[in-house]
Amino acid sequence: MTGPISGPDELSKREQKALESLLFRLADDEFVLAERYTEWQIYAPTLESDLALANIAQDEFGHARLWYDLLGELGYTEPDLIWERPPEQWQHSTLVELSFPDGGWADTIVRGYLYDTAEQLRLEALADSSYLPLADRIEKVLLEERYHRQHAGNWLERLASGEGHDRVVAAVERLFPHAMSLFAPGPHEDNITEFGFRSESLQELRRAWLDTVIPTLDSLSVPAPEPAEVVRPDATGRDGSHTDDWFELYDAFTHTYTELENPTPVRLRGEGA
Amino acid sequence: MSSDRQKPPAGSPACGYTDYTEGATPEAFPKTGEGATGIERAVWDALYAVDDPEMPVSVVDLGLIYNVFVEPIDTTDRSQNAPSNRAVIEMTLTYSGCPARELLTNDVKCAAETVPEIADAEIRLRYSPPWNVNMVTDDGRTALRKFGLSV
Repeated sequence: MTGPISGPDELSKREQKALESLLFRLADDEFVLAERYTEWQIYAPTLESDLALANIAQDEFGHARLWYDLLGELGYTEPDLIWERPPEQWQHSTLVELSFPDGGWADTIVRGYLYDTAEQLRLEALADSSYLPLADRIEKVLLEERYHRQHAGNWLERLASGEGHDRVVAAVERLFPHAMSLFAPGPHEDNITEFGFRSESLQELRRAWLDTVIPTLDSLSVPAPEPAEVVRPDATGRDGSHTDDWFELYDAFTHTYTELENPTPVRLRGEGA
Repeated sequence: MSSDRQKPPAGSPACGYTDYTEGATPEAFPKTGEGATGIERAVWDALYAVDDPEMPVSVVDLGLIYNVFVEPIDTTDRSQNAPSNRAVIEMTLTYSGCPARELLTNDVKCAAETVPEIADAEIRLRYSPPWNVNMVTDDGRTALRKFGLSV
């Protein structure tokens, strides 16, 4: 474990590589999930849930911006990070990129629940990160994530205890294998814990996640898959392999940027002054 | 604007801010410019004139400003009358997804640069300690209540 690192200048090459890999996952997960949440605008089943999802999407974009900002301090620009990064270099989990063509409100709720539970554990394991600019942001994000978990948890219970029960069961069956990819280790995993960027390994986080998620699903009479028997999807997302859904989404959100031929936004009056 | 600045609001969390060097002392956030003099005073006064984009309350009274530093800059190549200081302003946002981030930080930067002695202002965003409603000053509360919010 290295001592506290207060900024980019103090990072060795190896440390920077490991840190970048951690940050890309964090940022990409949040950004892509936010894109999927925004698709629910006007489609959510109640006005309240429409507003809630809009708000959650805004939070997740905000969190993505926090993590992309840290990558920015390491030398990346916004076009490098988002608008011009080839889709096969994105490292988010396949869980967050899936589209739900047949409506899929239960899918959205189940995904939110599975993701937000993992997110809390991951953030808690970053709260004492040796990279101080990262550690400094965690408390704020955890405070905001609390509402996301409440929202997902409340809806999960409502759906699973009513006529939506079968849909929840089907969504869990479909999404659980993709959720496991949240914990798929990358080439820098050992360094990430060794350098103290994250206090727990992905394996430990996965165990803690299963210990939360499975009893909850059990309590709602939703069968949880046996983790060891889950057939993993071919694509995990973490290594740049993705489902077709991702490439369609990527084309959609980069469409305007591409159409305008890589625009430079008009500056505010004080910028660059 | 009153020249008699209030103390940091009661109940606002003191952050055990540590820079991992010996003798670090805890600092309380936000700051209100209380006791500031000279150019720093002038910067605080300028920041008091910047309102939050959504509510008629100054960013200082809302508790967003965490620090103001004024430092001299090298002026050897400049005319004698050119301003010779830069301001560094540490501030936060009420929530991380604030869509007015650039607008707000730009307003703060422009305000600081209206001070004649300031050549340039830099805004540094920080998120620790996280902002919360206890950080609003008494004047800020009065302004928010007049606006119709119950705080």
